[in-house]
Amino acid sequence: MSQLQVKVAAIDDVSAGVRHFTLVDAHGGELPAFSGGSHIVVTMPAPGRTYRNAYSLLSSPENRAHYEIAVHRQPQSRGGSIYMHEQVKVGSVLDISYPVNLFALSRVAKHHLLIAGGIGITPFMAQIHDLERLGGDYSLHYGFRSREHAAFADALKARVSQRAVCYDESLGQRMDFDALLRAQPLGTHVYACGPQGMVEALVSTARALGWPEHHIHSEQFLAPPVGEPFTLKLSKSELEITVQGDMSMLEAMEAAGVDAPSLCRGGACGRCELEVLGTDGELQHHDHYLSDADKASGRKIMPCVSRAKCGYLELNL
Amino acid sequence: MSLAFKQETFRDDYTFRNSPEAIRRFPFPFPEDQYMYSVNIEPHTPGPKGAVTEFTLDVDEHYVAECRDKAITLEQDPGRCASLPHMMDAEWDFLEFTMESLARDYPEQFSLSKNGKEWTWVNRPLGLEQSFVFGDAATLPMGPFEYMGRQVQGDFVLLDQREDTLFADAGIVTSQADWSLAFNVGMSWHEWHGPVPQVTKLGVMDRALKFLMSLQQGNPVRRLNWTMTINPRLDTSPENYPLWGGDRNKVNAQNAGELAHLRVELQTLFRMPRSNAIVFSIRCYLISMEEMATYPRWAKRFHRVLRDLHPDLVEYKGITKYQQAVVAWLSRFDDGADIGIGTQPE
Amino acid sequence: MERGYWIRSKPVYTALLWNTKATAHAVLAAGEGGLAVVKLFQQALPEQGITVFYSPAGASKDYLPALQAAAGADLQVFETTAALLEAWTRYLASARMGLRIYSAGTEKFMWEVTDAAEAFGILNNDVMKELTGSLARSVYCVHCKSLTHEVTSNIATCSGCGRHLFVRDHFSRRMGAYMGLMVDAENPGEVPEIEEIYP
Repeated sequence: MSQLQVKVAAIDDVSAGVRHFTLVDAHGGELPAFSGGSHIVVTMPAPGRTYRNAYSLLSSPENRAHYEIAVHRQPQSRGGSIYMHEQVKVGSVLDISYPVNLFALSRVAKHHLLIAGGIGITPFMAQIHDLERLGGDYSLHYGFRSREHAAFADALKARVSQRAVCYDESLGQRMDFDALLRAQPLGTHVYACGPQGMVEALVSTARALGWPEHHIHSEQFLAPPVGEPFTLKLSKSELEITVQGDMSMLEAMEAAGVDAPSLCRGGACGRCELEVLGTDGELQHHDHYLSDADKASGRKIMPCVSRAKCGYLELNL
Repeated sequence: MSLAFKQETFRDDYTFRNSPEAIRRFPFPFPEDQYMYSVNIEPHTPGPKGAVTEFTLDVDEHYVAECRDKAITLEQDPGRCASLPHMMDAEWDFLEFTMESLARDYPEQFSLSKNGKEWTWVNRPLGLEQSFVFGDAATLPMGPFEYMGRQVQGDFVLLDQREDTLFADAGIVTSQADWSLAFNVGMSWHEWHGPVPQVTKLGVMDRALKFLMSLQQGNPVRRLNWTMTINPRLDTSPENYPLWGGDRNKVNAQNAGELAHLRVELQTLFRMPRSNAIVFSIRCYLISMEEMATYPRWAKRFHRVLRDLHPDLVEYKGITKYQQAVVAWLSRFDDGADIGIGTQPE
Repeated sequence: MERGYWIRSKPVYTALLWNTKATAHAVLAAGEGGLAVVKLFQQALPEQGITVFYSPAGASKDYLPALQAAAGADLQVFETTAALLEAWTRYLASARMGLRIYSAGTEKFMWEVTDAAEAFGILNNDVMKELTGSLARSVYCVHCKSLTHEVTSNIATCSGCGRHLFVRDHFSRRMGAYMGLMVDAENPGEVPEIEEIYP
């Protein structure tokens, strides 16, 4: 896969635990344009292991001079966000993927309802640029724990005041999903990005109210959960790999030099799906992609986020 | 490669011919004696010097004549170019992509200069020079998609990605193998692939769609498709079927060498930046049986492929009436020897 | 021409069933579609409000008494499908997300209902469709680009150019019509037997 090389041009802390990075092309050229909602996968070469995390682009899609991302420091994670906060400095050079969009605005929607929670505001910041440029009809609802956790809220309010409503939890302000969704005219698409609980609540409310599936869009970058180590057997490659407790199967395969397919790395897009040939334990599905039937069948798994509680797991790769 | 553009026709008197160089670089698609439809997608990485895959978009000796033929078809039937209202971002993406590719890879023929959003495009073979503002359709003589669609060989379809599928929401289609843009524009992937045989059994279309949905910027892909045409005719549209359909009756074992053509489509797919759309390029190459027989290995290979082709494919590709005539014409080159795997001419 | 494979573009129609997750329901029917609506109302009714738009034009029986008994004040009756579609468009303009849409009638009618809804951002798969009455098709002539309606045979005479068209199963939702291709282009005058296969 072709990649891009960028250099960190600026870093600033915008809110509690959220660090904002400005990235420019490492060779002094233009970066590719992109569509709002896109993310990049940043490769972080830590000693001993390589992290790859997806971060939404929050900068204007038309700005080819730089990209901007925001990284929320997650203490109980595999360590990618900690690496970004502690190891990456101004001047650091990073390999990134081309922008990929798995959270695109519908080009046939009549209205766009944007629902952001906490750090989930990032993809909407880029999408708002597109909507303003295209003259799209939209409203943004942005919830956060307190003003301290509201990255970019002031900048947003200044830019799009009439179309944005903020909800400060510490002041008792909460989004009423039911009321909000019932009020939408035909042809509205709703987009949700934020903590798992918030996104799941929004999606299930929309479904209960009869919103068709293709009018509901959500993005959650699931971090692959940690677990116990096990042995991964790859039948076609004739390899046996140890998957450590703090890395995903996908990361273990990549570290072993296996060319495993992937795209979003967050359990949503389906690209990394592999066939399960056998195991002496049980599969632990953490993705949003497989159907309940597929998960129960035990024949498929998404190695970017899922694991197994077992001695060995054999995949058809 | 030095380009000497030919004056030739793809209709009426059919003066189209391939030079020896064009014959040699022909994208012969059969590595084996048997052919079955498959996804056969591979990364669109630069091919060897002189190959049709050397550059992002291929410009060859037929460029000027093909653009002329395309213009005639569009004049007679403007419905061959269509773009749904929400596709304007994709149209500008397409214009930028084609201009940048041609100017970069064929600097003697094309140039593009930019001053912020003020661009100037020069197309020497067609004698065009156009200054315009990128993003402002009023500064071009026609929509951005049609403007450049007329200046690149082959057909183009712009696919909008939404609702877990791809929609053919814009197209410029003047050299297609027998499908109608006017009818298909706006269709989803499974709808427009409806009439392809055998594939539902193989699940080929589902796998191809899943793959394309994750197509990334900077990582284009390509595949080859093929059919046959009588006379070197580009416009084999359903619309004009009454004009070309009857040609199928004229082929016999004596004239098949001259009349029967192998038609290969080089299909390439590119993810676009602003619109997130996919550009689907369908570039058509024609070669007569006589020209193909310049390389006996190709003649042997195609003889076997055509003789043993699955009946559903024979029918779907419209070859039924003349299959035996062409097989008979090619048989004289086939001594039955094992020629091994591969598409090379010798 | 269609032997050996099944065309996936051909829409598959279903029987109408209430979708209980909704904020409102709109049912649109014409002619024989009235019977499908009566059947629908025999199922347990959803909690949300229902509006029924019906035009009896083309029905073989009088379904009005049954429809009135079933839908009561929620039923609106129109003399023509044109009048029905006009009222439908007005309704859509003030409707809210969560509206579930059900249609019953000929293929042509149902795609006209869908077309009107698409202008308001509704996706065509989200209009439930039960085909009733005739299987007659609208046919698009690729040569002269006219539409010929009420075609019941495998070969149609184009209302625009007079050519004999083979009626394919390849269907365009945008046009609500099947593709028609000149059947005797290769051998003019040799038209296969005409069979009434879409009665």
